[in-house]
Amino acid sequence: MKNIFYPIIIVLIFLPLGLISENPAWAEWENEYYQEMLGFIPKGIENAFHMKALIPDYTIAGINEVVAYYLSGIVGITLIFGFFYFLGKKIAR
Amino acid sequence: MHIPDGYLSPITCIATYAVTLPLWIIAFKKLKEQLDETTLPLIASLSALSFIIMMFNIPIPGGTSGHAVGAALIAILFGPWIASLCVSLVLLIQALVFGDGGMTTFAANALAMGFMASFTAHYLYIKIQTKLYAPFLSGWIGIVISSFVVAVLLGIQPLIATTPTGEPLYFPFGLNLALPAIVGSHILFFGIVEGIFTGLAYRYIVKNQIYKGVHA
Repeated sequence: MKNIFYPIIIVLIFLPLGLISENPAWAEWENEYYQEMLGFIPKGIENAFHMKALIPDYTIAGINEVVAYYLSGIVGITLIFGFFYFLGKKIAR
Repeated sequence: MHIPDGYLSPITCIATYAVTLPLWIIAFKKLKEQLDETTLPLIASLSALSFIIMMFNIPIPGGTSGHAVGAALIAILFGPWIASLCVSLVLLIQALVFGDGGMTTFAANALAMGFMASFTAHYLYIKIQTKLYAPFLSGWIGIVISSFVVAVLLGIQPLIATTPTGEPLYFPFGLNLALPAIVGSHILFFGIVEGIFTGLAYRYIVKNQIYKGVHA
């Protein structure tokens, strides 16, 4: 079983490579982009309901972006393993 | 490919939730049936891997970026329902904790990146599984189909929701822009990355006899 954790650890080590891209994905722009491109921000996008994210955009205020990215990865993995751990316990019962 | 809040009209959000909700229920039942001491750590690990590889944003020409998803690998090993649910879980965490994607668009994103990629990859893989390139092609085509669904959902917004003066209310660009930009970039770049990831990871898992897979 250990074998499956090695790839995760290796991929995790290289995580900062994910920060290389300065550009967002197509259609995941900041609202200013629409102001520039269209001269207005579509009302639905401007007034969109946003949940307050714990770690918005994988960044943490006051923490180096590479460190924050590593922390984000670890938090995500922990939550996923946590979900399966509790699901496994529930099923076993 | 993560559609943010505010990009889809309420009717699109409701429709995608209506379609996806029963699928999640079926998928959750299937997951509970398959989980045991052997499969649980592996399914959890593959979900974690999906989360991590989505963090590798790859820049491409044209000033945008994108990433692989990891749905096909789980679909090949554990079937499409479990893959769909694992990717949905990843998307939920991304939306809630990292503000990546959105809660109103969660069903749309899960439908595209979870269900469409997983079912496409799974059925394609069954058809061509004797071929060496089967995992690669399943990953590639799976994510291209996802991107098509995302492009259509975004591209129809200016057609179905405008102000009385004709201004788009939600995503403002039509299918003529969304389809080539989103589907094109996935055919040329991110689909290839998904394919390579699926191929390498599948080979690693088979070689190390970690799991034989449902079709092996």
